[in-house]
Amino acid sequence: MLFFLTIEDKYILRFRPFEERAIFDSRVVCYLSDPLPLAIIQWAAEQLTRGQARDFCGENLEIIKKRISKVLNEYSSGLDLKWKVPERSSSAEDSMTLGREVGNGNETWYAINQLVRGKQLSVRDLRGLAKDFKLRDREIIDLVHNNVLQGTALWVPSVKRNSKGWQCQRCGEKDVEEWPSFYGLAATCGSCGSIGPSTSLDVLYRDQRLFMNSSAKVLFQPHWRLTEAQNLASEQVAEFIGGTSDKALLWAACGAGKTEVCFPSAAGALEQGKSILFAAPRQDVIYDIAPRFQRDFPDYPVQVLTGNTSNRFQLGNMVLATTHQVLRFWQCFDIIFLDEMDAFPYRGNRALDWGLNHALRPGGKLLYLTATPSTEALTSVRKGEMLLIRLPARHHRKPLPVPIWAKYSGSFEGNVCTSFLIERLELLRRSGPLLIFVPKISWVAPWIKSLKKQFPYWSVEGSYSSDSERGPKLKNLKKGQYDIFVSTTILERGITLPGIQVVVFGADHPVFDERALVQMAGRVGRSAEYSGGEAVFVSKNMTPAIKTAVSWIKEQNKLALELGLIQL
Amino acid sequence: MKGIFEELVKATRTLWYEAEQICVFCGDKHGPICPSCRADLLRPELGRCRGCGKLVLTEKTYCSDCVSGRGPKQLDQITAWGHYSGGLKDFIHTVKYNTHPRLISKISRPFSEWAIRQLPAVDGLVAVPMHKARLAERGYNQAEVIASALHWELGLPILRGVERIEQRSSQVLLSRQERLRNLEGTFVVSKPGYLKGRSVWLIDDVTTTGATFEAVAEVLRTSGVEAVYGLCLAAGLEKG
Ligand SMILES: [Zn+2]
Ligand SMILES: [Zn+2]
Ligand SMILES: [Zn+2]
Repeated sequence: MLFFLTIEDKYILRFRPFEERAIFDSRVVCYLSDPLPLAIIQWAAEQLTRGQARDFCGENLEIIKKRISKVLNEYSSGLDLKWKVPERSSSAEDSMTLGREVGNGNETWYAINQLVRGKQLSVRDLRGLAKDFKLRDREIIDLVHNNVLQGTALWVPSVKRNSKGWQCQRCGEKDVEEWPSFYGLAATCGSCGSIGPSTSLDVLYRDQRLFMNSSAKVLFQPHWRLTEAQNLASEQVAEFIGGTSDKALLWAACGAGKTEVCFPSAAGALEQGKSILFAAPRQDVIYDIAPRFQRDFPDYPVQVLTGNTSNRFQLGNMVLATTHQVLRFWQCFDIIFLDEMDAFPYRGNRALDWGLNHALRPGGKLLYLTATPSTEALTSVRKGEMLLIRLPARHHRKPLPVPIWAKYSGSFEGNVCTSFLIERLELLRRSGPLLIFVPKISWVAPWIKSLKKQFPYWSVEGSYSSDSERGPKLKNLKKGQYDIFVSTTILERGITLPGIQVVVFGADHPVFDERALVQMAGRVGRSAEYSGGEAVFVSKNMTPAIKTAVSWIKEQNKLALELGLIQL
Repeated sequence: MKGIFEELVKATRTLWYEAEQICVFCGDKHGPICPSCRADLLRPELGRCRGCGKLVLTEKTYCSDCVSGRGPKQLDQITAWGHYSGGLKDFIHTVKYNTHPRLISKISRPFSEWAIRQLPAVDGLVAVPMHKARLAERGYNQAEVIASALHWELGLPILRGVERIEQRSSQVLLSRQERLRNLEGTFVVSKPGYLKGRSVWLIDDVTTTGATFEAVAEVLRTSGVEAVYGLCLAAGLEKG
C-alpha cells in the first residue's frame, strides 16, 4: 500500500492513504501527486529533520518542497515528483467521510474496530477483513487509518532499513531477500512469507490497544480434578503469574497433564480482564486442547487460530493459536503459555521467537511447557533468568518406565530379523502391543515386510509423518488392532495406547536426540490400568543422547518420590 | 528500474554454479529443474500453437481456436516454455504475488536457452508494460524482470517506449471475445520512430488467450515494427 505525502499548515509532514484524504482535509497545504511507499516517506522525513520534531515552522514553503524533492531524488532518481495544491470548491463535499458506508458509531464499524484491537496486520489481512464484511478495501483502510490518526495505532513499513541493515517488522528477520525495485533497492522477508508476503514497499497496521480491558465473570468448570502433583505445580504457576519473574519453565514428565495445570491460573487472569495466549507449534496440539478449554470454560469466547482457520478474526481474551499466527498480534497478551516449545517448527526458529516476545505486553508473563527442555532453556534456569516449575509424576502415581538399553551389533539397514531381535520382540509382545520406532522413513516399509514374514500370525502395520493413510492407521492403532506398529517420528498428541511397549531400532542414530528418545519412551505406561511396560533402546553404540534421556527420566522419578507423588 | 536483472544477477550469479541445486518447481534435489518437472511441466514432447502459444499435439501447427480464426492475428508467432500448472504455476505466483522477483534468476538460463531455439533472433525485447499505478504499488513488473533475464543471458537489447495507459478490469472472468475488446486502447507507444522497422520478442509471464499479446502487438505494428514474436513462461494446454 502507498501513501500520499502531505504538508500541512505550519508545515508539518504527514501521510495519508488516499488522495481524497489530502484534498478534503483543510489542514493540507500541498501534497505529492504520486503516492509512495511509507518506508520512503519516513526515510525522507528523518533525513529532513535529523531526528528533530517534524515541523518546519517559520520556513518558506517553496524551500521545504524543494528540500523534500531533493531528498526523495537522492533515494531514487526515477521518481516523478509533482506537487499539487488541494482544489477545494465550497460545493464539493467530502465523498470519503467516515459515516458514509462505514460510519463512526455504526455497528459494522464498531465490530471491525473490536476485531483489530491488539493485532498486527498486513494489508492483505485487512483486505481479507474487508471481504468478510463485504466492504471495499479502501473502506477498511480508511477505518483503521482513523485509529492511526487517533494515536491508537501505527502504520509501519513491513520491512525496514536502518543504519545496520534490513529487518522484517513482523517477524524480526534480518536476513532478507533484496531486489532492485522501481524505487531502488527493496527487500522481501523469506521467514514469515507463509502468512503472506512482507516487503519493504508494503506496510503493517499495528494496533496498540489492548484486547478488552474490563474484568468479567468467568465461569470455570473443570471436568477433572488436579492430582497432587498437578496441584503443586498449579500453585507454583499461580505464584509465578502473581510474582515478579517474567519467564518460567514448566518441566513435566511425559503424560503428566501439563496443560490442565495452567487452567486455574488462566481462569483467575481472565476474571481480572487479562488476555491469554496458549500457543503451540503444531496444529494437532491446538485441536487437542481447544475442546478441553471450551468444555472447562463454558460460554467464554475462545479464539482458535491455526493455518487452517478460515475465520481469522475472532473475539475474546483467550486465544489458542499455532505459533505462526502469533505474528498477527502486537503486545497484547498479559500471559503466554507456550506448549511443546522444543517441538518443530518452533525450536530454533528466530522469527517465531521474536513474534512471541512481541505478542507479549511489556511486563507480561511467558510460561514454557515441555517434557523435554532445550539446553538453552535449562541454561536460563541455571542462570536464574527463568523460574523452574516441576511436574514429575503422572496421575496414577506410578514411576515413569526407565528405558533399557540393549546392545545390538547387527545392522538394521538390511532389515533382517535376527534371533536376538525375534526373542526380544516375542518376549515384549507378551506384555502388550509393540510400537517400534525407526530413524528413517525408508526403513518403515522394509521392516514391515520383514516383520510380517517373521511373525505371520501377527498383525503388522506402520506409518510415517507424511503417510496419506496415517489417520486411519492411527485410529486402528488406538483400538489395539496391531501387534506391531512401525513408525518414524513421535506419534501425535492425545494418543494414549493402553499396554503399549516401545522399542527403538537404531537408537544411536543422530536424528534421535535426548528429546526424541524421552518422548518415545514416554508413550509407555500412560494409563492407570497399564501403568507399567517397557521401553527398549536397541543400538550398536550408547550415545550421549541415550544417556541423557535415561538420566532425565530417572531424575523425574527421584524427585517425584522425594515429594511423595509416586509409590514404587 | 533500469537493468533490474543485472542487479539481481550480480548477487546470485555465483550461486548458479554451486554443486547442490534444488529444483525450483518441486524442491527436489536434481535442480535447477528436475527430470520429472521437465517432463510434467515443460512438456517437450508437445508442440506449441503458432497462433496463441497453447500446448498442442506435435502434429498440429495451430490449436482449434486459432484454426477457426478466434486467435490473435498481429503476431508472427507465440510460444510458451511450459504448461501453466503445478509447480510452474506456483513459481509464477510466488514471483508475482509473493514479491519474489529474484526467483526468476533461477530459471533464466534454461528458459533463455530454450527460447533462442524456438524463435528467430531479433533486434530487441519488449516487455508487456504494467500500468504506472500498479507498478508503483508492486515495485516491479514481472514481465520486465523476465525480459531482463533474457537480455542478460542472450544479449538482446531491451526496447522501451510502450506504456499501459489504462487499468482495465481483470481479464480472469471475461470470455475470449470480451478479453480482446477489454484491452482496446490500453497500450500506447510513446516514441514510435524508435521502433520502426525492428523485429522484437514481446515478453509476458503467462498467456491464456493471447489477448494481451495481441493488444500490445497491435500498437507495435502501428508504430512500424516488422516482426513480433510472443514469448512467455507458461500457457494453457489444448484438451483432447
Ligand atoms: Zn518476516
Ligand atoms: Zn522438480
Ligand atoms: Zn492457438
